[in-house]
Amino acid sequence: MFASNAEAQTTKKKVKEVDNTPLFNGISIQADAASLLSPVLFSGERYSYEAGLQVDLKHKYYPVFELGFAGANKISNNDIEFKTSGLFGRIGVDFNFMKQKKDAKPTTNLFLVGVRLGMSSSPYSISNVKIIDNYWGGNEILNYPDQISSKVWFEVVAGIRVEVLKNFYMGWTVRNKNMLTQDATGAVAPWYVPGFGLNNGGNWGFNYNLGYKFQLQTKISTKIKTKK
Amino acid sequence: MRYFHIIFLLISIFLIQSCVVDEQCRQNKYVEMKVDFFHVKASAKRDTLTISTLTIDSITVRGLAYNAATSKYEAKDSIIYNNSKSISTIDLPLQKLSTVSKYQVKLNKFTDTLTVVHTNTDSYLSLECGCLKFHTINSVSTTRHFVDSVSISNSNVNTSHAENIRIYK
Repeated sequence: MFASNAEAQTTKKKVKEVDNTPLFNGISIQADAASLLSPVLFSGERYSYEAGLQVDLKHKYYPVFELGFAGANKISNNDIEFKTSGLFGRIGVDFNFMKQKKDAKPTTNLFLVGVRLGMSSSPYSISNVKIIDNYWGGNEILNYPDQISSKVWFEVVAGIRVEVLKNFYMGWTVRNKNMLTQDATGAVAPWYVPGFGLNNGGNWGFNYNLGYKFQLQTKISTKIKTKK
Repeated sequence: MRYFHIIFLLISIFLIQSCVVDEQCRQNKYVEMKVDFFHVKASAKRDTLTISTLTIDSITVRGLAYNAATSKYEAKDSIIYNNSKSISTIDLPLQKLSTVSKYQVKLNKFTDTLTVVHTNTDSYLSLECGCLKFHTINSVSTTRHFVDSVSISNSNVNTSHAENIRIYK
């Protein structure tokens, strides 16, 4: 009885999966279609356009570099005018949480969760800031031209990509943005930061991406070795 | 996967739409110099002083503005406190565009002149709220018809509304 059990263990098939997925599997270029709607959504006060490059490493890790141009031209309720425009950049990495089913055709759809570090250094101006002395009388108008905003922020992102045509992808990304660079109390801080949005500590962002992937390695070769 | 995609797209658009910018200023913009009144009483042996809050029966305060034509300070028509009763604290607006603020202070039946020399500093709040003038009190002086003395307890006049000046009787 004991001997037959031992024999059974030795003859049991040990299955070990070896991942032979190449490290480098291509590079994607993508543009944000949602940003084209930003002038409409924000009544012409704000605009933001961006595109990105993303590398596919082992179909799991997706380092990304994003570059954009954004700006704002806002007149507040009390007639203060704010203007800015400038480039912004983000670097980060996405992780693919879409699991590949065994013995099935590998899916090219992605469920991505990742992080970004965003940076922007943009000129801005604030003008027509009125100070009125209601009791003593008189008023003063302050202008703050040629200001520079240098900001760094951190993002947590999540989204999906679906291959709609061969190598053409569509998908969305939702971003939770958190400002790391704080303004001093009383400082003439910008109302809007390119790439980050309203300068209020935290923001949500949304991208609808259209992308094309250059397949430099197209085959996923996963060998299943069976050892006796 | 397709439905998953569409549902999250709709949720995201809803999130974007719900982020309406609040353009109302909700920050505290009240910047006035806080003045407290105190009564100083010496003991019978005059070796200790007891300081207690002084409640003024009647007080009237108005600003004294400099008239360049007459080279004199003249009382403004606008009254800050008009025969207010039972008061131990007053808030006075300092001049935002000048560095000397004078007040005619009528305490019960006596009238004193309070003079404050200060510097003004711009403090930007936001696009919605604009800019405030904060003040730093450099010196304060008074005539002595009713008031015995005056001192600076906190030279920074900002939105904290802390006591800035003490007036002793």
